[in-house]
Amino acid sequence: MASLFLSVILHQKGLTEKLNPIPYGGMRALIIILCALLSSASFSRPISYVGGHTLMANSNSLTDNIYWHYTPNINYSVGLDYQKDKVSNEYFPSARFTYLINRKNAAQSQRNLYLKTGVGLNNSNNHFYSLAGDWETRRLFTSFSIKQSSGVGYDMFEQSVKVGVAPYLGAYGDFHTWLMVETKKNDLDNERITYPVLRFFKGGAAFEISYHKKTDWDIHLMYRF
Amino acid sequence: MEKLLLLGLLLTSSFLHAEPHEMGNMLSHEGHLHEAMVDGKELVVDPKRFDLFVEGLKNNQIALVSVQGMVCDFCARGIAKTFGKDKSVTKVDVDLASGKVLLAYPAAFEISLEDIEKKILNNGLNTTDIQIMSN
Repeated sequence: MASLFLSVILHQKGLTEKLNPIPYGGMRALIIILCALLSSASFSRPISYVGGHTLMANSNSLTDNIYWHYTPNINYSVGLDYQKDKVSNEYFPSARFTYLINRKNAAQSQRNLYLKTGVGLNNSNNHFYSLAGDWETRRLFTSFSIKQSSGVGYDMFEQSVKVGVAPYLGAYGDFHTWLMVETKKNDLDNERITYPVLRFFKGGAAFEISYHKKTDWDIHLMYRF
Repeated sequence: MEKLLLLGLLLTSSFLHAEPHEMGNMLSHEGHLHEAMVDGKELVVDPKRFDLFVEGLKNNQIALVSVQGMVCDFCARGIAKTFGKDKSVTKVDVDLASGKVLLAYPAAFEISLEDIEKKILNNGLNTTDIQIMSN
């Protein structure tokens, strides 16, 4: 999701002009590949239970995206991402790997540290690696992510932080709600953006929606099975 | 430098916040059943929840599993699904609030504590205690 906001911002801030050594078409492809490599990164835990599958879908004004991952071992997950650019109708597949570096379970909390990486299947020169962490109780949620993305003609470093609170504590199987705020910054436009996020859970399904005045709505669906 | 400072701050705050919870005492929860077992251990479970769970169960063994890290519905769902697939388990109940999992087994079944711990671990969580009761 983070990357999709970034994508929109890059377009709206006219970065295609700033990075003029790359022709518009190339810049467009670059941004989309970037999206494909980074999207869905912060929606939910990137590792499920052993044998668990997670399917995510995302839609915003520029892209539609589907990401699936499977957890064969509690220490890692593997996944495939498939993204469609609504403007050019091009598709950008990528493969991902997430490794759980450290997890600390406590009576009322869980803390995780992940290493994530992904590579474009159309062009392996497009890749990213990321360090992400979260700490969560039933009431509070915090997460951070730092990402380095590289490809033909570009490098980008991005950092983001998300905090959230559950307005009520639901029991198992109830409808769960999270009120969140996410802030992020990358070294391409060097401007921090902050926006609200609403997250809902019910059963194996989750729904997340966020809004920024520059980027409009961003919608995520997730199903874990 | 700014990036490093931000990362350092986040990691530090995360570790500091986690520490008090690790020392939290589950026995202090109010409204839970506190009964001494024959081995001297104290049984801590929500009495209403426990009564509801054992309702209709006869000649069963009940495993009360205390779990650390079960903070979200998805974590709990993973546990319910894992034990739900186990044909020797006749009933499963997950209590997010107390971090307890109730499992019912047939009376004649030999419960493997190691298997329960392994299944919990495969959900990324830790078992801190397992108590077996019969009804």
